[in-house]
Amino acid sequence: MTTTHGNRATGTPLAGWLALVGAEARMVARDTAGLIVPFALPLLILTMVGLTMPDVGPEALDGRTPLEVAGIPIAAATVLGLIGVVNVPSFLAAYRRTGVLRRLGVTPAGAVPVLVAQTVVGLAQALAGIGLALGVAVLGFGAGMPTSPWVAAGGLLLATAAFFALGALVAALAPTTNSVLAIGLVIFLGTGAVGGMFGDPSALPGPLAEIGKVLPFGATVQVLGAAWRGVPPELGSVLGLAVTALVAAAGAARWFRWG
Amino acid sequence: MDAIEVHDLHKRYGDRVAVDGVGFTVRAGSVTGVLGPNGAGKTTTVECVAGLRRPDRGTVRVLGLDPWRDRRAVRAVLGVQLQEAALHDMLTAVELVRLHRSLHRSGRDPADLLDAVGLTEQARTRFDRLSGGQQQRLSVALALVGAPRVVILDELTTGLDPRSRDAILEVVRELAADGVTVLLVTHRTDEIERLCDRVLLLDAGRVVADSTPAGLVEQAGLAQRVRFRTSGGYDRTALLHLPGVGEVQRVGEEITVSGTGDLLGPVGAELVRQGVVATGLREERPSLDDAFLELTGRRLETGRDTEVLV
Repeated sequence: MTTTHGNRATGTPLAGWLALVGAEARMVARDTAGLIVPFALPLLILTMVGLTMPDVGPEALDGRTPLEVAGIPIAAATVLGLIGVVNVPSFLAAYRRTGVLRRLGVTPAGAVPVLVAQTVVGLAQALAGIGLALGVAVLGFGAGMPTSPWVAAGGLLLATAAFFALGALVAALAPTTNSVLAIGLVIFLGTGAVGGMFGDPSALPGPLAEIGKVLPFGATVQVLGAAWRGVPPELGSVLGLAVTALVAAAGAARWFRWG
Repeated sequence: MDAIEVHDLHKRYGDRVAVDGVGFTVRAGSVTGVLGPNGAGKTTTVECVAGLRRPDRGTVRVLGLDPWRDRRAVRAVLGVQLQEAALHDMLTAVELVRLHRSLHRSGRDPADLLDAVGLTEQARTRFDRLSGGQQQRLSVALALVGAPRVVILDELTTGLDPRSRDAILEVVRELAADGVTVLLVTHRTDEIERLCDRVLLLDAGRVVADSTPAGLVEQAGLAQRVRFRTSGGYDRTALLHLPGVGEVQRVGEEITVSGTGDLLGPVGAELVRQGVVATGLREERPSLDDAFLELTGRRLETGRDTEVLV
């Protein structure tokens, strides 16, 4: 009979964390469609922008090309949006729906580490996707690095926080895996549409373009574009990302259901 | 020593009372069956024991620990197989056992465990490509991977073919032999008879019987029956006067003697004394199923029915 159970160390072993991250990585890698889309779609967008680059004078974009100022930022926002708001939440919703969270809830680790592990894998995938897009832009179309690298890094972090928090909120509120896909895609395509995914947002009616710059997709594109040009990012875009991250994270923590 | 102590447990979901004052204890190293119709509160009760639900009222202790407050400590010593819980479906059997093993500080060897539940050949098969029975066996393996001292198994043989079922029941028997305490929720009285030292009968959120399987049958107070066939006559009055006999009925050539206690010996001897040529003399003991029907007024549903209802 175990008489020392009260003294047994009870935290999640490091091996458990690593195994969960490994398990989530395998799940993501074996979900072929979910794996390919966030890599392929941004590349497609990037290539199209690269091939159809309008001939603008160097002074219009502070000496940078449309690919650098719009193409790369749009590709990055697409990667973050698809992974953060569509892929990661649909895994979490499926885990809740099928009882994976319940099953892990009775292990010593509990169910929280699997959410963390899935997020870690999502972040790694996003990093790889953005890296791939950047690589193609640099090697394929001769793009250069941002003029303000720290603004780019900060903007990317803020954008990541905003999209992943929004995804967590979607996972918390949507009842089924299909509704996560639907809500996630509507958010992604909706903010993308007013944020420049389908063309220059300055062609949109004024108020819509202004809203688009504050919502995560357009805000990401604005801040990253500014980083490439070396101009200060618009305050509204930075605040938009920060507020989205905070409010969505708080809502997700408040409303997340385990079963 | 009691491994599980439940006292005055209450749990309601909105207006519906699921558990209404359940109390029982489970001796360390014993196998206890939890039997009851659908909606009796079985799953809610074991979920409270597993620390998955917080009781509205009452106390639950597993090896002296509160499964809700001391969740982490309890999960280290408690293994749970849940009725409606899936696993990472794109991982293979061995990947899943290794994953769950890594979530415990100590535990059993993944390869040995897969062998024990008969899944060595399927070790590299993805969970979503295993058969229902194989998935069920894997989920039992995961309940045991942390080498728990107390195990809760909820409907563990639902959907299993007879051979898989026997293999799993053998695993449970070995657990008990190793001194592990087992709480087994089931619809199948044959499993209770084969494995359990004790049986708790739940109905409408209450414990209506808490006894050995044989004691439960006795508690139901059902008549014992002895049947035989004869084409000729016999002395009905003499049979009625035998100790314990309450009734003698004849339908065609078949005579049924019912009453209490051991009837077969005295009835047999009396028939010999009367020189009656009786064929097919046999005793019918009330089964656990009959006792269940008597004590709850309901037939036992099978696991299959549950699946349809869910």
